Amino acid sequence: MASGTGSFEMPPFERIVAEHGPLVSRIAMTYEADPTLREDLTQQIFLAVWQALPSYRADASLKTFIARIAQNRAISFVAKQVRQPPTAEIPEILESDDPDPEQNAMEASERRALIAATRKLPPPQREVIVLVLEGFDYAEIAKMLEIAPNALALRLSRAKSALKTILERGR
Amino acid sequence: MTDFDLDRLGEVWRAQPDAAEMAALQRSAEKVRRRARLGQLTDFGLAALVSTVVLILMLSNPKVETGILGAAAIALMLYGSIRQRQFRMLELKSLSGTAEEMLDQSIARVEATLKRTRQSLIIALPGFPMGVGFGVALNSGSGSDLLNRFSENPWLGRYGIVAAVLVAAAALMIIHLMRTQRRSRRELEQLAALREAYREESEATHDG
Repeated sequence: MASGTGSFEMPPFERIVAEHGPLVSRIAMTYEADPTLREDLTQQIFLAVWQALPSYRADASLKTFIARIAQNRAISFVAKQVRQPPTAEIPEILESDDPDPEQNAMEASERRALIAATRKLPPPQREVIVLVLEGFDYAEIAKMLEIAPNALALRLSRAKSALKTILERGR
Repeated sequence: MTDFDLDRLGEVWRAQPDAAEMAALQRSAEKVRRRARLGQLTDFGLAALVSTVVLILMLSNPKVETGILGAAAIALMLYGSIRQRQFRMLELKSLSGTAEEMLDQSIARVEATLKRTRQSLIIALPGFPMGVGFGVALNSGSGSDLLNRFSENPWLGRYGIVAAVLVAAAALMIIHLMRTQRRSRRELEQLAALREAYREESEATHDG
């Protein structure tokens, strides 16, 4: 998707949603547990992406651009909430609908636990862990967050340790 | 979860959503795109309509004053539209930057809102009784009875009703301003806490 050259041609919005919609959905999920509010947040992210697309210059990958907008929109959305962000309620959609898919059910359960755990991390650590889980490499993440690689390594190490503790406690 | 391998967890994390979830996402995005496009078209249509009406009025009544007023109306509309666009671009720019930059900008925006509503409250609270007092003072100087004039006018009805409506409007405005203040203060607290979390994390990772 990223070209890094001046000859970048913007794909239609539907294709962007097809490719990066799941990323938007997962980021919304790590910041908002309430399903109605999460839908609202997802729509706000899509709107921000749609409005920001004309300013995209392909100096980073489109995935990076969208992840950046999604994280920032999610953080400002959480700040606007009057109530405390809930920590429970993971959507049922993560549970497999197949008749007897043991493997799928285990993965869905693991994914639910992982999402719930990331939601408990402080925002700076959550941001880093989510980007790593989304498959961005460390150089990309350091560039996105505008921090030095060694500072990123330290932050990631702290985030990893906190996530591990949360997951172990939840077992 | 027996081990803690981020690569493996990443694979679990990025598991492809099922068809129903994907369809729901597409619907949601399409709804947003349609609404945003409609909003753009409405803004453009309204601007074109207002400009046409102003131009017709100017052409049908070719006077210097009409020309000045019409040009001022169009200039004001253009200025408003440009400012709105600038605000939107600024917001979008902050969204594609770092979280810290976005939080700093959000804090500045909420602080400005708080300042503005505080000023409005300071003006509104004494403003209403002052306005009533001013009206009464003017009335007593004019030699006629304001209460009687109100009750004689069938459109205004009794003075009590008019006064009640005015008081209710003023009260609603004050309640609205106070709510905005409370909401902004709460948002500011949350933004400051988030900003602090980033500052602490930054200090911890830099100091190592």
